[in-house]
Amino acid sequence: MAAKSKKDLLVANAILAPLDWVDERTGAVRGTKWFLFRNVPRDVSWAQTLGSAALTAFIVQTLTGVILAMYYEPSSSIDPITGKPIAYSSIEAITNELTLGWLVRGMHRWGASVFIILLFLHMGRVFLFGAYKYPRELTWITGVFILATGMLLGFTGYLLPWDQTAYWATVVGINLNGTAPFAGPWLAQFLAGGPEIGSDALAKWYALHMLVLPGAIIGLIGVHIYLVTRLGVSSPPWSSEEAGRERPPVQTTGTRSGLVRGGGGGD
Amino acid sequence: MARDLGELNREDFARYKDDVKKEGKPFFPRAIFHDTVMSFIVVCVITALAVIWYYDADGVKPGILGPWYTEPADPGTTDFVPRPDWYFYFLFYLLRIFKWPETVFIATVGIPTIGLMLLIGLPFYDRRRERRPLHRPVAMVAAVLTILSMAVLTWKGATAKEALGSELVTLVPKWAEEQGFADNPEAVKGAELFAQSGCLNCHTYMGQGAGNLGAPNLSEIGATNDASYFVQYLTNPAAFGNTVMGSYAYLGQENLAALGDFLAASKGTSSK
Repeated sequence: MAAKSKKDLLVANAILAPLDWVDERTGAVRGTKWFLFRNVPRDVSWAQTLGSAALTAFIVQTLTGVILAMYYEPSSSIDPITGKPIAYSSIEAITNELTLGWLVRGMHRWGASVFIILLFLHMGRVFLFGAYKYPRELTWITGVFILATGMLLGFTGYLLPWDQTAYWATVVGINLNGTAPFAGPWLAQFLAGGPEIGSDALAKWYALHMLVLPGAIIGLIGVHIYLVTRLGVSSPPWSSEEAGRERPPVQTTGTRSGLVRGGGGGD
Repeated sequence: MARDLGELNREDFARYKDDVKKEGKPFFPRAIFHDTVMSFIVVCVITALAVIWYYDADGVKPGILGPWYTEPADPGTTDFVPRPDWYFYFLFYLLRIFKWPETVFIATVGIPTIGLMLLIGLPFYDRRRERRPLHRPVAMVAAVLTILSMAVLTWKGATAKEALGSELVTLVPKWAEEQGFADNPEAVKGAELFAQSGCLNCHTYMGQGAGNLGAPNLSEIGATNDASYFVQYLTNPAAFGNTVMGSYAYLGQENLAALGDFLAASKGTSSK
């Protein structure tokens, strides 16, 4: 028994030592434990999976998007071989020639719609549960920004295949931007990249879709998940086991006087 | 009742944390199990959509989930009805409701901005502690009305029909006769370009067209200016204070001249 535990100790040290080394410098192990080994209310159930479902759809978008970026070419110049715009030809090649390219493109295309739907459902659930109330106001606000950024990602991605649908929807979109007061015309001119919407515009929309908006949304999602973990998920408000439910008066006064001083910092 | 809202809120949350700690269930593995099942379903749905989309369509030939792609973008021939992705249909349809020039910005900027502000501000103007839906009648009615109006606008946007240039061009002889420019080949050529270049996706003319984005009726536009003015206008609408309409300079001087002649000849049926 003693010999065995000594061996165990060695193995444990071999595994734990590097983890400890990392944890001492970054807090990564403590952070992971903090994220995984926490309690959630007992009555949390399927309705509260919509957020992580949206996250999954976003991860699908990230992975398929990276693969598409390896084969897609954002240029509206005419390809001398196919006689079509280079962007369009690269989309044709991804769909028709690349092994499973159709699946990657199809998943990216439909994943976008699924992502938007899940964001709306998730928001509806949070609204129904009143889960945006104290202390989760900032979680809600980052969520609204995630929805707005997600819709902008959808809009900028729509142009990239450079087909008729994409092109004309974008022309309308740019003209719509132009109707905004003050910055509108300037923004429209920037997005159009010249009198004719062509390669300049395509490169700008590609940069927005590939770099700016994903960067923004990943940052927002990070803050959002941190806040969800820190503040906890709220129970269904109609649940008889609701975490934080009001207790019969006698018990309530007892609990309150003890906890308010400890938790809230007083008044 | 001396205690303020902030204090009550903090008490509620302290009780929440206490309950979760004492009677909650571990996130890992209990709650994360639900999340994993749901994520698996999400990936399956996305894959199924991609497979159905791919196998039901063929190139530009659409299946039930649309084509792989439409024809390559071509700024020259605008015989195409602009249509955004489905989640912008509500905005797309709002534009048809606010179609007078002075009101376009209400649909394009005003309503979306107000909507976004209302969403961001929600936790600040709805400060009650009550979370049960049945005890929040105002919030629930507002939510139902929002969902209904978004659904109706999306549905209307999805089913809105706009005439294709190929159908409109058959009306040119009728326009030429009624406007009295049938003997002017340049104006007839301009009318054909007008029908095919998507002008009627925004403008109206002789009872045709969408009336989008506040674009005016052009049936009697010829009474206001001459052909050279229209050519300049088409080349750079922004120079005339029109930031909604894009430039049509890419059509080329010859086509623009024909369009100018057509517009100048469109003096309305009454002044023929």
